Amino acid sequence: MRVHTLLMMVCLLLVGFQLQAADPPSKPPELSSIAPGAELWRDVRQRDQDVTGTTQVRSPGADVLINVSGQAWREYRMQELIPLSGAAIAIVLFVILLFRLVRGRIMLENGRSGLRILRFTTNQRVAHWATAILFSILGLTGLTLLLGRSFLIPVFGAEGFGTIAAGAKFLHDYLGPVFVFALTWLFVLFVRDNIPSPKVDLQWLLKGGGLFGKHAHAPRYNAGEKLWFWLASIVGLAVIISGLVLDFPIFGQTRSTMEFYHWVHSIAAIVLIVVSFGHIYMGTAALEATFEVMQTGYCDSNWAKEHHDLWYDEVKDSEEPVPQQQAQPDPGARQSTDSA
Amino acid sequence: MARMKFYCDAERCIECNACVTACKNEHEIPWGVNRRRVVTIKDGEPGERSLSVACMHCSDAPCAAVCPVDCFYTTGDGIVLHDKDICIGCGYCFYACPFGAPQFPEAAAFSSRGKMDKCTFCAGGPEEDQSSDEYKKYGRNRISEGKLPLCAEMCSTKALLAGDGDVLSDIYRKRVINRGASAFEWGVNNSKIPG
Repeated sequence: MRVHTLLMMVCLLLVGFQLQAADPPSKPPELSSIAPGAELWRDVRQRDQDVTGTTQVRSPGADVLINVSGQAWREYRMQELIPLSGAAIAIVLFVILLFRLVRGRIMLENGRSGLRILRFTTNQRVAHWATAILFSILGLTGLTLLLGRSFLIPVFGAEGFGTIAAGAKFLHDYLGPVFVFALTWLFVLFVRDNIPSPKVDLQWLLKGGGLFGKHAHAPRYNAGEKLWFWLASIVGLAVIISGLVLDFPIFGQTRSTMEFYHWVHSIAAIVLIVVSFGHIYMGTAALEATFEVMQTGYCDSNWAKEHHDLWYDEVKDSEEPVPQQQAQPDPGARQSTDSA
Repeated sequence: MARMKFYCDAERCIECNACVTACKNEHEIPWGVNRRRVVTIKDGEPGERSLSVACMHCSDAPCAAVCPVDCFYTTGDGIVLHDKDICIGCGYCFYACPFGAPQFPEAAAFSSRGKMDKCTFCAGGPEEDQSSDEYKKYGRNRISEGKLPLCAEMCSTKALLAGDGDVLSDIYRKRVINRGASAFEWGVNNSKIPG
């Protein structure tokens, strides 16, 4: 007990000496700031918005000392956009391949009828193919700029890919504005028959569009085609507006404006690209006697009965025999592999 | 090997813009392109500070990360350079850069910007050192002549420092110690404070 108290007293004494020694003898008056520069940098860096000042340089963003949005954009592009868009494309292609393996090529149940019906006018087909070709070029050049560094530099080398990418950028920037006209033309020609008819469309969707069994009733365009039409129109509008902002950096757009529209443009475009794979597959290799409809404008009567029965009922009076010299083999039959 | 750095001392920069002028003259930089600029914060108010900003030659450079054609490279001295023959002028480096360093000679319709230009730490580009090709595309290669960047070399107040990061740290540390010290404080030797 006594030893314990003694130890405690010794400890307290030692602590007392320690405190006395650490105490500075005389403190100078408070300095306004030890390192004013550090305060400046703290102000500049620890903000969630740009710190602007004045500068003699005249260009957009020159007065911003530290651009805080750049890091977020870098992380979006490198850690989200590139890996996720690559994965989305791979998954959709895999699903299409799986569907092909499960369902095979879907043939007409009753074969060809020898009768045909006009489904698309020349104007409609030209609008479709103009949009389709422009979409393909824009999609491929866009994907080249997005994923080329990962996939094409190992093949062509940095110099070779630099030339390819410069060409891709040129095509993308000059054909983008043309796509605006093509998509508008397509929208005007096709919107009438793509107005949703809730009852029929819902039934079609509930039956899975006949993908996995019996055919579902469908008017001129089934619910799947209508969904693609409206997706292409609405998301396409987002791609167009954002693309025009990015393509014309002549109105003093700031970096954060460009980053925002790049974010819109990339997400919308990837959505359109992956869904277009489904549309391309369904329109070419998936179904017998389908590709020729957009190619020639005419569809086989049996094709109309099976895929668009409600429309067939409306137009069956206009059936005509297929002219002998024009009877052509199913172009889809030559494509054994998935062109998607 | 040295790790090259810029440091701008906000306590010394007097916003004379001589670094900007020296850079433009040394490299014959076209109108509208500014590899270096001086930004003044709180201009005309108490606490006004100016900083000279250019490419900071980052270790993990955002420009190099986002470049779709991978045209950036880092030299053995830690200087971030780029190849104008590969650059496609997309502007992504400018979006990602915290310092606004990448510059473009044009801002025209259809996203025409021309090849990106930025501070090279006076180290030229991938062309042969001191060749006329290198001078035309990237400006003078002072590093290959054994000289440091001109902006820092001729800074009148020595606010802008350029060189080996360790040496710059030592210089700046000494400045901070002297600034933060009081002559009456313990451990400060009056005779060592520069007059």
